[in-house]
Amino acid sequence: MKSEILYPGAFPMVRVYLNEGETVKAESGAMVAASPTIDIESKMEGGFLGALSRKMLSGEKFFFQTLRASRGAGEVLLAPTVPGEIVLLDLDGVNEYMVQKDGFLAGAEGVKIESKMQSLTRGLLGGEGFFILKIGGTGQLILNSFGAIHKIELKPNEEYIVDNSHLVAWTSTTTYNIEKASSGWIASLTSGEGLVCRFRGPGVVYIQSRNPGSFGNWIRQFIPVSE
Amino acid sequence: MNPTPNALCFGDGLPAAGAPCHVTVSADGLTMAPVGNSPLVEEAIAFTAMSVEAGGLDHDQLVVSWGAGASVRTLYLKDPALIIAFRRAAPSALMAHVERAAEQVRRARHSHRALWGSAVGVVVGLGLMLWFGSDLIVEWAVARIPVQWEQKLGETVYQDFLSKETVLKDGPAVSAVQEMTQRMTAKIPNNPYTFQVSVVQSPVVNAFALPGGYVVVFTGLMKKAESGEEVAGVLSHELNHVLQRHGMERLVKMMGLAAVVSILVGDQQGLIGLARQLGLELATLKFGREQETEADVTGIRLLADARIAPDGMIRFFERLSEKDKEGVELFSTHPMSAARAGRLKAELAALPKQTSEPFTFEWKSVQDSLSASELKK
Repeated sequence: MKSEILYPGAFPMVRVYLNEGETVKAESGAMVAASPTIDIESKMEGGFLGALSRKMLSGEKFFFQTLRASRGAGEVLLAPTVPGEIVLLDLDGVNEYMVQKDGFLAGAEGVKIESKMQSLTRGLLGGEGFFILKIGGTGQLILNSFGAIHKIELKPNEEYIVDNSHLVAWTSTTTYNIEKASSGWIASLTSGEGLVCRFRGPGVVYIQSRNPGSFGNWIRQFIPVSE
Repeated sequence: MNPTPNALCFGDGLPAAGAPCHVTVSADGLTMAPVGNSPLVEEAIAFTAMSVEAGGLDHDQLVVSWGAGASVRTLYLKDPALIIAFRRAAPSALMAHVERAAEQVRRARHSHRALWGSAVGVVVGLGLMLWFGSDLIVEWAVARIPVQWEQKLGETVYQDFLSKETVLKDGPAVSAVQEMTQRMTAKIPNNPYTFQVSVVQSPVVNAFALPGGYVVVFTGLMKKAESGEEVAGVLSHELNHVLQRHGMERLVKMMGLAAVVSILVGDQQGLIGLARQLGLELATLKFGREQETEADVTGIRLLADARIAPDGMIRFFERLSEKDKEGVELFSTHPMSAARAGRLKAELAALPKQTSEPFTFEWKSVQDSLSASELKK
C-alpha cells in the first residue's frame, strides 16, 4: 500500500495504491472513488463487541469499511467529511499514537485500532471524552483534522501547552496533564481557554488549527431557526 | 538481518517521534541496535551507566537514560517481555530504581482503578438512593408542585380522554354521582381541588382519578353496584388518591427513575419523550400498595364524615371478587386481597358508630336509566 495526498490544504484527498490482495481500512463513508478491481467490505474491526465498544464508548463509526484489491491492483480515493489537512504517518510496530475520536481517516491492514479508556480527570476535563483511539501496529496511518495540521516535536522533558479542543493525535511516549489556562479559575474562564493540556516529551503532538466546537457555535448563529 | 524494532530512542539528532531500534538485554547491560535507515549507531550500555524510571502516557513504559549534555539518549521500552528480561538482569543497585518504577506503575494503575471504581460507586449509590429512598424524595418534590400545575396536567389528560368517549351529560346517573361527590367534598377540610366527575358510557367496571381532581366513573361500574353506597365507596377511594396526590407521586417517581437512566445513557430526547408519554399513561396509572392502603383508610373515614354507609365499598369489592374476577378492570388496578379486606374491616370497626343518611335517589331507577340510555344508542 502506498499513499499520496492530492490537493494538499483545506480540501485534500488521499490516493491509496493497493497491490492485488492488499486492503486498506477507512472510516465508513470515506471512499470517494475507486478502481473497478476494488471491493468494498464493511468490517467490524475487533469483532462485533470491539466495534460495539468503539461505537458506544468513543463515538467512532461502528463500522470501518475495508477496501480490498481482490481482482488486481488498483487505487482508491479517500476524503474526510470536514475541511482540513491530512497527515500520513508510518507505524513500525513500536510507535503508537493516541488519536482523538474524529481523527482517524484510514489505515493499512497491519494497523491496529482499539478504544482506550482515559483516566477520570483526563476524560472529564480533557474535552476528548473518556475514550480515545489507540492506534499501533505496522503500516501507514492516515489522520485528518479540522483546519491545518501542525506538528509539535518535543524532546525528553520538554513541555508545551495545547488547548484540548485542538488536539488531533499524540505519541504514547508523551504524557500530559490537564490544567487551568491561568492561575485563577475566573481568569481561566474569561480568557476563553478554560482548560489546557500540558504535554511533556519526548514525542510528537499533532494539533489542528481550527476548533470544531467553536466553529459549530459560531455557525449556529447563521442557521435560520424553523418554527 | 534487519531485526524488528522493540523500542524507541530519543535524543539530539534523532526523530522527534523516536528512532525505532532493537534492544537486547545481557548480563551486564543492554545493547541497542538501529533498525532501518536510522541515524543511530549500535551501542552497548552498562547497567552502571544508566538511570531507570517509569514513563509514557500510562506510566507503563520503562524509560532508560544515559549520557550527559547533548549526548543524552533516552530509550522507551514498552514490550512486556523485554521489561521482564530487563528486571531479571539488572543488578540490585539499579533494581531499587526499577522496582520504584514498577511501584509507580502499580500505583498509577491502582489510583486509576480506584478513581473509576469510586465514580461507578457514586453513580450506583445515587441510583440506589433514588430507588430506596425515593419515597422521601418524591414526597418532598411533590409537596413543592403547585396545585394549579397539577390541575393543568390533569385537565389536559382528562379532556383528551373524554373527547374519545361517550360522556353522559345529564340524567339520573349523573345527578346521583354528583350528589355523592358533593356530600363528600363538603366534608373535606381545606380542599384545594375543585372536583369534576364524569360518567362515561362503557362496560368497563372501573373508575379512576387524575391529578388535580378529575374523576371518571364508567357505567359498567354503576351497573354492577347494588347500591349507591357501593359506588360512593369507590368514588371516595378515588377522591383520596387525588387528595393524597398519589398520581403526582407516581408520576415524579416514574420520571425520576427514568430520568436517572436517561442521564446515565445520555439520552436527552428519550427524557423528553418519556415525559410526554407519561401524560397519557396517567389514566391507567397503577398505584403502589401503600398508596392503595392510604386511599382505603382515608376513603372510609371520608365516607363516615359524609354520613354515607362506609361498608359499601368492602361489600362491592368482596362480591365482585367472588364472582367474575376476570372481566372486572377494577381488580387490575385495585387487586383485592384478604389482607386488604381485613384492613378495611378493621378500619371500619375502629370508626365511631353513627347513623348514615340515605341518598335522595333510588338506586334501582338510576340503573334502569343506564340500561335505557344504552338501548337508545
